[in-house]
Amino acid sequence: MQEQASKIDMNPDISRRGFIKSCTVAAAALGLSEAMIPKLVEAAESAQRPTVIWLHFQECTGCTESLLRGSHPDIGRLILDIISLDYHETVMVPSGHQAEKSLHDSMEKNAGKFILVVEGAIPTADNGNFCKISGRTAMDILAEVAPKAAAIIAIGTCSSYGGIQAADPNPTGAKGVRDLVSGVPIVNIPGCPPNPITFLGTVLHFLTFKRLPNCDNLGRPLFAYGRRIHDHCERRAHFDEGRFAEEFGDFGHKNGYCLYKVGCKGPETFSNCPAARFNDVDVWPVSVGHGCIGCTEPNFWDSMTPFYERLPNVAIPGTGIIADADSAGMKILGVAAAGAAIHAVVGIAKSKIKGKEKRER
Amino acid sequence: MSYEIKNVWSVLLRLFHWSLVLSIVTLVVTGLYINTPWTNTTLEGSVSFPMATMRYIHFLAGYLFAAAVMVRLFLYIFGNRQERIFDILPVTPRNFKSLTTTLGYYSYLSDKHDERLGHNVLAGIVYIVTFVAALFQLSSGFYMLYPEAAFWQGLGGSIFGTQQEGRFLHHLLMWYFILFAFVHVYLVVWNDLKSPEGLVSSMFNGKKFKHKNV
Ligand code: HEM
Ligand code: HEM
Ligand code: SF4
Repeated sequence: MQEQASKIDMNPDISRRGFIKSCTVAAAALGLSEAMIPKLVEAAESAQRPTVIWLHFQECTGCTESLLRGSHPDIGRLILDIISLDYHETVMVPSGHQAEKSLHDSMEKNAGKFILVVEGAIPTADNGNFCKISGRTAMDILAEVAPKAAAIIAIGTCSSYGGIQAADPNPTGAKGVRDLVSGVPIVNIPGCPPNPITFLGTVLHFLTFKRLPNCDNLGRPLFAYGRRIHDHCERRAHFDEGRFAEEFGDFGHKNGYCLYKVGCKGPETFSNCPAARFNDVDVWPVSVGHGCIGCTEPNFWDSMTPFYERLPNVAIPGTGIIADADSAGMKILGVAAAGAAIHAVVGIAKSKIKGKEKRER
Repeated sequence: MSYEIKNVWSVLLRLFHWSLVLSIVTLVVTGLYINTPWTNTTLEGSVSFPMATMRYIHFLAGYLFAAAVMVRLFLYIFGNRQERIFDILPVTPRNFKSLTTTLGYYSYLSDKHDERLGHNVLAGIVYIVTFVAALFQLSSGFYMLYPEAAFWQGLGGSIFGTQQEGRFLHHLLMWYFILFAFVHVYLVVWNDLKSPEGLVSSMFNGKKFKHKNV
């Protein structure tokens, strides 16, 4: 294994080819023409690799894990060829005071020039006491580092919008970077986890054009989040033609029918999953038979659950009833019908008692 | 006892009313289908598109609904006396009295009927609430229909949040319209039975019967 790895590294041809391939994949994801690939390559291999400082806050490290498993770019190439990763708790060698020092030195040396990547939400309740690194709160660290960055990439739904930590009732007051930082350009790459290709595409866009890519109203780059999953899904024909899986494991499910009726949130979710796919084996949730859970959207733990229903449940105030919207609606309609029936009966009874006087008038 | 015939509702208002009824009934049926497509098939290549067709009808009816709402907005400002918005807002003493009289009348506490040409003010308030609900319904609808358009993305994003949140509200508002339609039809019929002014037919021919001396 080790032998193999070093062989690849030592063979400049394969290396070069892989490198160009990564740039080509990124160009495709960005929707750039073939003619732009040399520009991307040039920008990516320029001598001044941009310094990247990567901060981890309230999170599961899943975004990093997913990046480590990406092959366009593979992590070695990303760190050694494209960017200069000065601080990243998961992959860096130093620890303790050394680590703190490298963060500090790099930040001072590259002030105004480095890219800050944030992974994880920032808890703000109780002065941010819920997440501390070397005795300082996440809020403090972000407030110190963010203003010195040239641009901020919030990777993952947690650092973009708060993620699961921010789910109701959000006990730690978790927030996304955009809620706390202003004055520095921020791009959100939400997803749980997001596709490494989207991250690479954003970095290369920044290197090539010296600015962040165009974004939607939620700060997500349009090249990756410009379309709903449903509009590029390979099961869409089954949707239009009315062929659905009713439950997991049934005939429709085995035959690859649309997962709408088992709660797929593709119609409400913006992402390039059906086009970019994951892990070099061209899969994504819907292709392996599980509906989309809407992980690139703000508040998705609140609004996309129950994951196997189309819509969230409603609580009817004052009754303690939690039901899906339609049974709640039917209950309220039932109450209204009973009310109308009582109203009608009272009216009839009253006119019976009062006699015919009114009708004769 | 003699009655006279008064012209109350313009053609445009009646057109608005029946377009609204037609579109809402269609939208509720197709909307429920979109939420829970109750047909399911294993036929492939049969050249039938139930979901696409239902959505298409929903969008057509949605445009009719939106047009009707725009017409009502026009009539609130430029309609005849009964149709203008100030006739149904409880802002003048006359209108405020209409509200209290109607509440007493509907709850059988008094027999005094507010004889006016236009809507009574209790109904009027509910119609305005319905109008506002319709604005939310159509903006959430267009937000889902044109999610990439900058206008709807900006508007929908700031009012509703994500697509899913807009869709949830869209679905809840459907229940408001179902509830409104039920109570509305009940009360219109109830009024028509209680006082012989020809309320139901007024929505067809625009005329009401009124006591001569009023
Ligand atoms: C009273 C009026 C309306 C009612 C009762 C209604 C009802 C519904 C319902 C129940 C759904 C299904 C949502 C779900 O549960 O998943 C829906 C979806 C939808 N409605 Fe409406 N709707 C109305 C007006 C409109 C209007 C004015 C438009 C704009 C054209 C519109 C556009 C849509 C769209 C785009 C969808 C999503 C369809 C899809 O993603 O497949 N609706 N509507
Ligand atoms: C067969 C059924 C229906 C009949 C006979 C009917 C009749 C009427 C009548 C007589 C009025 C005037 C009432 C008044 O002066 O207060 C009216 C107003 C109205 N109706 Fe209906 N209606 C019917 C169904 C519906 C439905 C299903 C809807 C919508 C869900 C609806 C929406 C409205 C609205 C919004 C108004 C107020 C008009 C305005 O803004 O001036 N109607 N209807
Ligand atoms: S599986 Fe999901 S995204 Fe694909 S067509 Fe069905 S509902 Fe849409």
